Amino acid sequence: MSDRNGHVGLILVSHSAKLAEGLADLLSQVAGPTVPIVTAAGAVDGSLGTNGGAVLEAMQRAAADGGAVVLVDLGSSILAVRAALAELSDEELARVALADAPLVEGGMSAAVAASTGCTLEEAVRAAEEARVVAKL
Amino acid sequence: MSSPSSELAERSVRLPEGVALHARPAGMLVRAAAAFAAEVHVSANGRRANAKSILDVLALGAEGGTELRIDASGEDAAAAAEHLVLLVPELA
Repeated sequence: MSDRNGHVGLILVSHSAKLAEGLADLLSQVAGPTVPIVTAAGAVDGSLGTNGGAVLEAMQRAAADGGAVVLVDLGSSILAVRAALAELSDEELARVALADAPLVEGGMSAAVAASTGCTLEEAVRAAEEARVVAKL
Repeated sequence: MSSPSSELAERSVRLPEGVALHARPAGMLVRAAAAFAAEVHVSANGRRANAKSILDVLALGAEGGTELRIDASGEDAAAAAEHLVLLVPELA
């Protein structure tokens, strides 16, 4: 369901703000300006780490808009996402979904799918396709 | 499967010299293919990719000047193939 406003977006959750911002730049160039891509990356003080508050805020904002696929790097990013998901209302939960996918390829696949105006479920499926499509 | 509404279309088109199917042009091609109901595939270098999957298309590794084979099946297959044949030479 992505019928509230605009396209399904992406939330990139990483230990590194630089990593997430660089990926957001790359994905935006390929997907175009219609797909909202935001980052929730790095610790509160800007060092390497995760910031559960930033993740939750990004999810709530996305839920109020077109919804979002969440992509994570690894480890405690997943814990931060799970903790934030636990804070969402049922209505918000219907509009935000964590993809079990590699960050770069999953993000690329989801971003391009989102740029075609697909649903949240389709964008998650596109991200998770990255697990089975050979890179070479 | 040939119901009256199903079509098959096959076309060839060459990538412009110097324009490989890198992320941005591949994204344009995938977005264009996704606008059609037909199943669309693009082949190059002996591989065949789902034209609606960016990762599949990127894995073709098609360099500039490569001949792409487009095949489509479904009710709007001819229109899909035609659209891509017009789009590919414009990729930059």
